[in-house]
Amino acid sequence: MSTAGGIIRALNSGVKHLAVKRFTLRYPEQKLKFVGDGFQFDPQTGVGIAGLKGRHILFHDKCTGCQLCSVACEGIAEAIGMVKVKETWKHNKKAIMPQIDYGKCVFCGLCVDACPFYALYMTNDYELSSFTKSALIYTPGQLAVKPNISQDVEIKIGKRGATHG
Amino acid sequence: MTTQLPPGIQLETVDDRIMTLNVGPQHPGSGHMRLIIKVDGDYIVSCDPDPGYVHRGEEKMAEYRNYIQNIPHLERPVIHDSCNILYPYCLAVEDLLGIEVPERAKYIRVIASELNRCVYTLYWLAIYGIFLGHSTMFMWPAGDRELFIDLLEAMSGARVTHAYLVPGGVRNDLPANFEERCLRQVDYFEKRIKEYQAIFYQNPVLRQRTEGTGILSRMDAIRLGTTGSVLRASGVDFDLRKKEPYDVYENLDFETQVLKEGDSYARSLIPYLEMFESCRIIKDALRKMPKSGSVRTKLKPNPKGGNDEAYRRVESGRGSLGFHIISNNRPEPYRVKISVGSFRNLICIPYLLKGEKLGNMPSVYWSLNYWPVEADR
Repeated sequence: MSTAGGIIRALNSGVKHLAVKRFTLRYPEQKLKFVGDGFQFDPQTGVGIAGLKGRHILFHDKCTGCQLCSVACEGIAEAIGMVKVKETWKHNKKAIMPQIDYGKCVFCGLCVDACPFYALYMTNDYELSSFTKSALIYTPGQLAVKPNISQDVEIKIGKRGATHG
Repeated sequence: MTTQLPPGIQLETVDDRIMTLNVGPQHPGSGHMRLIIKVDGDYIVSCDPDPGYVHRGEEKMAEYRNYIQNIPHLERPVIHDSCNILYPYCLAVEDLLGIEVPERAKYIRVIASELNRCVYTLYWLAIYGIFLGHSTMFMWPAGDRELFIDLLEAMSGARVTHAYLVPGGVRNDLPANFEERCLRQVDYFEKRIKEYQAIFYQNPVLRQRTEGTGILSRMDAIRLGTTGSVLRASGVDFDLRKKEPYDVYENLDFETQVLKEGDSYARSLIPYLEMFESCRIIKDALRKMPKSGSVRTKLKPNPKGGNDEAYRRVESGRGSLGFHIISNNRPEPYRVKISVGSFRNLICIPYLLKGEKLGNMPSVYWSLNYWPVEADR
């Protein structure tokens, strides 16, 4: 193959891409769709349920304050601390629940694997930036809130290439 | 007057013609490491690699955490290839604890590690492109990498550090419709990467720059103990997936890619050709995978290894990657040794760069498939 021919072929393959659809995801306007409602875990079978490992969700009516999530996080990120909550539950005599510091969390989800009471799951919410470090510490009250987000863009593969629409 | 020098320090005699260049550690072309290069005009006289700037003490950290807590930090050395670095760890821990892995989990692991190999190779290829000043070759692989990240995200729930493989299987089963989605994206990708040929690998400008530079002969490759794509580019047919098949690789249909040239062009072509093989493995594994069944063996809480040791290695994106774990009846390992391909491949830099032009340094260096963070652990 001649040098000139090779250069023309290289240029040509680039020029072809003028007609190919744009692959880039325009992020703040478009958000990728994930499978399910986030990573969950079934302690009965010992197997997780596929989903994004984003911010946690804590079910106050199930958490017994057993501290297993906090123990699991020791040596990983040390992001989970147990704090007193005002409300008292029959199943949570000590009235302690996890508080998660997202400045430290690595989103490995091993705390979800450790919870035997279906109380701690993860959600599709991954936009957790804030102006102060202290705002990244989520109290049990904040963790109980279900995220309200719209994520609907998927990779589409057509004749003119893959695109995010 | 003679100056009293502290013990262990020697003064160097300086030749007027020779200039010492420190490439790195803050150089965009070197990664987190330093190459001390001595040049005579434009020609490199000697090169001394100086790794260790991103040493994190992974091996020591592993001695204070139990077998499950070790997972998230052990994948940090190569976050782009996190399934492949956890693979030998899981295999070794399974040997130590005597865990049987379900059949379906073995196939899922193979799929995850092959998807991750593609992610790593595309990232490596993107940087190789930008090292040679080919900015299109940076954009294309960086964009196409998204296809695999998307699949791994659906599988494991994280874009880069998946923490997906665990001793005993995988963390969760595949999501619904995953097989169909995976086949669609992998089929598209196979067509897509053929376009890299015209713009990059058959590009005469690239071939003139990389062909014949940094030639590593077959005997030298064996003598210096290189692994992975560097070894296969020098004509040695050695792939752990074929030679020491782990999990279900022996049932799968693929070939080892070997080239004889041993120059930086061949070293850059091998990972590209292996992406086709990875796609073949993924499609074959999806076909042969049991359609249902358990994916994770339940472990006891805080499992203890006996007075025993285990060594397992796998073929990662950068060559053979092994974990040697010694346990002493405790929930934490007594000693973990990580043996990585990056560090072994770095050893041939002084041989390859001698007599080479300085301008060829980036292409030779990055063709070694070297990842500084992994080498330093």
